[in-house]
Amino acid sequence: MMRTMDRASIYESLNEIFADVLDLDDVDLTDNITANDIEEWDSLSHIRLVVSIEREYSFKFSNAEIEALTSVGDLVDHILAKAA
Amino acid sequence: MTLTLDDLSTRWPATARIVNAVTSIWPEHARYAGKSFAARDAAMMQTTETLAEAALVLTGEHLLRYAEHYRWTCDQLREEELFFHREGRYRLSTFAEADAEVYSDAGYMEKYMDGLLISQILWVNHAASCHFFLTETSPFLAPDQRYLEIGPGHGLMMYLALRDFDLASATAWGLSAVSIDQTRAALAKLGYDNCDFAVQNVMDARAGSKPYGLVVLSEVLEHLEDPKSVMAPIRDLVARDGHVFINVPINSPSPDHLYLMETPDDARALLIDTGFEILREGFFATQGTALERALRNRVSVSACMLARPV
Repeated sequence: MMRTMDRASIYESLNEIFADVLDLDDVDLTDNITANDIEEWDSLSHIRLVVSIEREYSFKFSNAEIEALTSVGDLVDHILAKAA
Repeated sequence: MTLTLDDLSTRWPATARIVNAVTSIWPEHARYAGKSFAARDAAMMQTTETLAEAALVLTGEHLLRYAEHYRWTCDQLREEELFFHREGRYRLSTFAEADAEVYSDAGYMEKYMDGLLISQILWVNHAASCHFFLTETSPFLAPDQRYLEIGPGHGLMMYLALRDFDLASATAWGLSAVSIDQTRAALAKLGYDNCDFAVQNVMDARAGSKPYGLVVLSEVLEHLEDPKSVMAPIRDLVARDGHVFINVPINSPSPDHLYLMETPDDARALLIDTGFEILREGFFATQGTALERALRNRVSVSACMLARPV
C-alpha cells in the first residue's frame, strides 16, 4: 500500500521516533523546534534520531545533510524531498 | 547543586582552561560540556581537576592544538557512531584492519591520542572511570604492591596509581616501542621517572617468581579480536592475593574498537570466564545517562571492574 507522505503524517511518525529515541513521554514537535529546545537532543542522540528516521522511511541521509539538520522543520523538509 | 560552566573557572581552574580551549575553537560543544559537568559531584570534580592538571602538563603550550585534535577525534567518532547504529556492529573486526587504518598512520595516531587525552576530562564516563579506579581500588590494596599496567596509553591511570597508591614498583607494557616511549615521556613530565617500561606482548609473558599485586588494563581489551584469550595468561601474572582492574566500553564505536560488548554481562564475562571473581563494578554512561536507558538506546557505557583470581 502506498504510504501517505504529507507534513502531518511525517510529524506523527517523528513524534513517535523522538519519544522512543530520546525516552520522552510526550512529544509535540513543530517546525521551529531545535536541539536547543529539547535537552535530550544532543550531538549523540542526533545520530540515533537520524538512523531511526532512515529506518522508518527507507533512505539514507548524507553526512552533509546530517550536519545541516538543525530543526524539526529541516527534518520534515528533507524527508519530503527524499521521499518525493 | 548542579555545576555550571561558569563555576569551573573559580573552583576548578585546570578543568576550566581545557574547557575554554575546546569551546574557543568549537563553541557548539559548550552545551555538551555543560551537561557533562552537571553530571559530576564534588568528589568526581576533584578527580577531574587532577586529570586536568596532569593533561595541562602534557599539553604544555600546545593546548589549542590538542583542542583542535579533540574536535577532529569527535568527528571520527561521529562517523563510527553512525555506522554502528546503522549496521549494529563495529566497522572493523581485525587487528590487521585497525593497524592499517589507525595504528600505522602516525599523523592519525597523533591527532587521535591528543583528542582522547582531552576526552578524559570532558567525557563524564572517562572521568568517572578514573574516579572509580582511585576510590574503589585503594581499599583492596595492601601496602607496597607491585603494579603492572598493560597498554598504558597517555599514562594517566598509571599517574593516578603512582600518585595515590602505596606501590613498591610500577611497570608498563606496550605492544610497540613508539607507544611505550610516549608513556615513559608522559610520566617523566608528570614527575615519575622511576618506572619500568617494556615492549611486551602479554601472550608471551611468563609469571616468573614475582607476580603483581595490581594489574590494570584500561580501555585495552576492546582493541583486541579475542580479549578472553589475553585475560587467561594475565591471571597467571596476578598474585594469589592480588587484583586486576579492567575498564572496557559497552556499545562504544571507535575507529580501532574491534570487540563489541553490548551488555554489562558481556563485560563481566571477560573476567568471570577467565578465572576471576568481580569484587567491585561501576557502569558509567555517556553524559550521565541512566544505565538502563543507555543500554536500551545503545549509548556508550564505560564498565569498570575490580576482580581477584579464584
